[in-house]
Amino acid sequence: MFRRILIANRGEVAARILRTCKKMGVEVVAAYTDDERDLSWLKEADDTVCIGPVRSYLDQDALIEAAIQKRCAALHPGWGFLSENATFAARVIEAGIGFIGPNPALIRSMGDKIEARRTMKRLGLAPIPGTDEPLRSLDEARKAAEEIGYPVLLKAASGGGGRGMRRVLQSDGLKDAYVEASAEALSSFGDDRLYMEKLIEAGRHIEFQVLGDHYGRVCVLGERECSIQRRHQKLLEESPSPVVTNEQRAHFTETISTVLSKAGYTSAGTVEMLRAPSGELYFMELNTRLQVEHPVTELTTGVDLVEWQLRIAANEQLPATFPTPSGHAMELRINAEDPERNFVPTPGVLSAFSFPESDDVRVDTHLCPGDEVSPHYDSMIAKLIVSGPTREVVIERLEATIPGIQIEGVQTTLGLHQEILANPAFRSGSYDTTTLSTMQES
Amino acid sequence: MARLIMERLGASIDEVLSATEKTENTSSLKNLNEDLSEKLSVVKAGWGERYVNRVHAKGKLTTWERIEALKDPDTQVFCVGSLVNWGREFEGSKKPAPGAGVVTAFVCVAGRWTMVIANDNTVASGAWWPNTPEKIQRAQDIALKLRLPVVYLVDCSGLFLPEQSRSFSGARGAGHIFKKNALLSAEGVPQIAGVFGDCIAGGGYMPIISDRVYMTEGAYMVIAGAALIKGAKDLKLTSLDIGGPEVHVHQSGCADVRVPDDAACLLKIREEIERLGSSATEFYRHGATPQPPLEAPEELNTLFPADYRQVYSIREVLARLVDGSLFHECMPHVGKEVVVGVGRINGLWTAFAANNAELTDHPEKVGEKRPGGILYKEGIAKLAAFTRACDADGIPLVWLQDIAGFDIGVEAEASGLLGYGSSLIYSISTNRSPMFTVLLRRCSGAGYYAMAGLPYDPVVQLATPISRLAVMEGKTLAIATYNSKLDANFEIATEDEAERRAIEEGMQSTAARIEKDMDPIAAAARMDADEVVPPGEIRAWLEVLIESSYQSSGYRRVKNPRIWSLHDLEVLVRG
Repeated sequence: MFRRILIANRGEVAARILRTCKKMGVEVVAAYTDDERDLSWLKEADDTVCIGPVRSYLDQDALIEAAIQKRCAALHPGWGFLSENATFAARVIEAGIGFIGPNPALIRSMGDKIEARRTMKRLGLAPIPGTDEPLRSLDEARKAAEEIGYPVLLKAASGGGGRGMRRVLQSDGLKDAYVEASAEALSSFGDDRLYMEKLIEAGRHIEFQVLGDHYGRVCVLGERECSIQRRHQKLLEESPSPVVTNEQRAHFTETISTVLSKAGYTSAGTVEMLRAPSGELYFMELNTRLQVEHPVTELTTGVDLVEWQLRIAANEQLPATFPTPSGHAMELRINAEDPERNFVPTPGVLSAFSFPESDDVRVDTHLCPGDEVSPHYDSMIAKLIVSGPTREVVIERLEATIPGIQIEGVQTTLGLHQEILANPAFRSGSYDTTTLSTMQES
Repeated sequence: MARLIMERLGASIDEVLSATEKTENTSSLKNLNEDLSEKLSVVKAGWGERYVNRVHAKGKLTTWERIEALKDPDTQVFCVGSLVNWGREFEGSKKPAPGAGVVTAFVCVAGRWTMVIANDNTVASGAWWPNTPEKIQRAQDIALKLRLPVVYLVDCSGLFLPEQSRSFSGARGAGHIFKKNALLSAEGVPQIAGVFGDCIAGGGYMPIISDRVYMTEGAYMVIAGAALIKGAKDLKLTSLDIGGPEVHVHQSGCADVRVPDDAACLLKIREEIERLGSSATEFYRHGATPQPPLEAPEELNTLFPADYRQVYSIREVLARLVDGSLFHECMPHVGKEVVVGVGRINGLWTAFAANNAELTDHPEKVGEKRPGGILYKEGIAKLAAFTRACDADGIPLVWLQDIAGFDIGVEAEASGLLGYGSSLIYSISTNRSPMFTVLLRRCSGAGYYAMAGLPYDPVVQLATPISRLAVMEGKTLAIATYNSKLDANFEIATEDEAERRAIEEGMQSTAARIEKDMDPIAAAARMDADEVVPPGEIRAWLEVLIESSYQSSGYRRVKNPRIWSLHDLEVLVRG
């Protein structure tokens, strides 16, 4: 096993990785930027290294230099920042430093959504019905829409965040939508290519956690449901999904394992799928990194995913099987935001910051009372993860835990979380990606 | 278009030998084969169970367990140099050095023959003894000549220091291994190293030149271990801290990949071999399907007479070596004391040059016979012309030696045997096709040289338990030594009874000493033969050697049979 690694990330991500490293006896060099040098969690690291001014977590040269200078055998990119940057991964590897993640070629091919869709389809994981190639004309769009069947969704090929995206409910709306979406795509991304897929409304976001080693084995560790979202940002995740059937779970565990093994997938990753109201699951994308919400899988499987990322990077083999997930777990993302004011970030100094302690409660955070929540980065300040034998018990435990949480100095999303937990649709398990916005509108 | 008329050689063993002969031959060789097999198992056991346990306690596999994990299932490992240092004692050690503490072997990995060089970690922690460097270099030479990928399984504590003077400084001292590493690399022969434990000083250079270097978590490579670093004890520095995978994979760049343990390392090495170009043997079979000889190869354990002076049929030997017992003999009507021709081994064309031990017709004196197992002018010329054709055609050449020497005497010298012999020596010295020599029985005098004995660089030289390797037979050598005391009929020429007895004893002890030297086990211990092999296993060995000769394409001449110069030769000889 590596003796010393560099964590090329910050905040809660870095603190999470550090915890596993400590358990494994792997020394950690923590990278920090000028503005975060006073954060208390840095004291936990075996060594620290300043990589420059604010936002330097994207400075590839500084991070690689730091790893070499500090004699780190490997680098953990965490999630976000450079974790899905294939060039960075390649540069790290060429410098002789182990990259704790999949190989650069895989990161690159899965980062290209069209290529990922094509690859997975070829290997046997069906994506949302749609076009594999960008549309070349309105005529082609018309033909494709008829084949797929209305309603359809037009999406910018290099897009994201909803721009260059148009819903088309009927054939007479296609022309306008096509023209508008192309123009918006061109102005936003400098690329007016569009592709089309079946519009699935009121879908549910289901994702499967995978681990692949360098010996051709890929294990699937159950699924998570992340349908509670506001503007595509997840707020609450749980495992298992209340809606995935045992047959579906068995089927996709088998299929994903075979498909990703064929693709040569290594390290941790997440296969994101969309569940249509009809019940089918379609492949959306493969995230070549650990997810924020990975703890719900850890609590239902007992597997430390970060530990396995390190082990896989050091060429260890996965066991033949992991424990089958059991019980239930749910994660609340506590953000320093004001839900009343359209989730505007509310940075500030934490005058109070404490959580009730219990065996069933896990809190992932890097912050301590007195630490400052930076305006420069993501507004998430902590994750509250609770496990229990059933979904009902977990909801009860969460409801019992939240009032004991003391956070002062910033506004948080905890109140909203309480509303979600109390929502009858959520409680019954019949919710989808539109539930939160519907709830807030009413 | 030249055709090859293949002849079905041989007959069933019951037709060839009487029941009594069969029993006598078998029992005589059986003892020798068993004795050999016992010695080989002693070598394979290394220093025994205690040391095996010691290796296991470190969480490591023994060298033989590693080879077992590396090789393709259901394939046999073919060791070379098993008996190096056999019977040798070392002043600096209470224990012997079985196999010189290293296993070198042809090992089939992912369908390709590789040369595996593996320190025996149950013998002085894989240290290098006298002759260890030479044995490793011999294996490297074999790999270089055949362009076989080399796999180093390194677990070596360095030179065995009490005996350093005999393995450090000479022309073939340990350092010459690294020169061979470099030469293999320069010739484009793939080298892959797995470092499984200690890799100190010289041992440290061996893996580095390899194209891919894997290190287990417990392995380290250092120019000097912690024991020689001043202050290491105070700092609690171990050799692993100084040169473990943390350093070499991620800081120094001296190794490529770290793996948790031995099993993973061997899996990864197998993957590397799989990445290499596939074996060309199937291509060079030219559509032929490999088939075993029709007469069982194991019957070679029965065919040879117990008394080395008795004759047997070389064609019966060939019948038990070549595919379908089919052989095309070239120039059969001249130089009958040798048999040359081509047959297939596992579907691959192979040339054979063999002595004929039987009486043959005298070429000039009608009705007269002359003894076989001797090289006369005609046979020498036939061998020279045949080997030149094999060189021109790129056919691997197997020499089957049972040779007492060159013809001697007034006539022989006058006919220019020295000149013909030198022509043959020139031919084999400059031959660029792979040559393999099998010492079936006798291998004496200049005959041993002219038939591509070890000094003429065959890729591999195999002996059998009945090989007799010496400049001449003991009795002949005693005559030569005591020549001045003997009359024209080699009788002791003295009236003095005491002197006669002294000469008699002297001649007997000389003969006995030579008899001992001729023991193939002793020859193998001196590295005068690469391996001692029961005659019944020669076919299996030839399969490995010939497949290895054709495995890599593009580095040597391999003509297709349509354009062999051998055909021209036959047209000219037959008229």
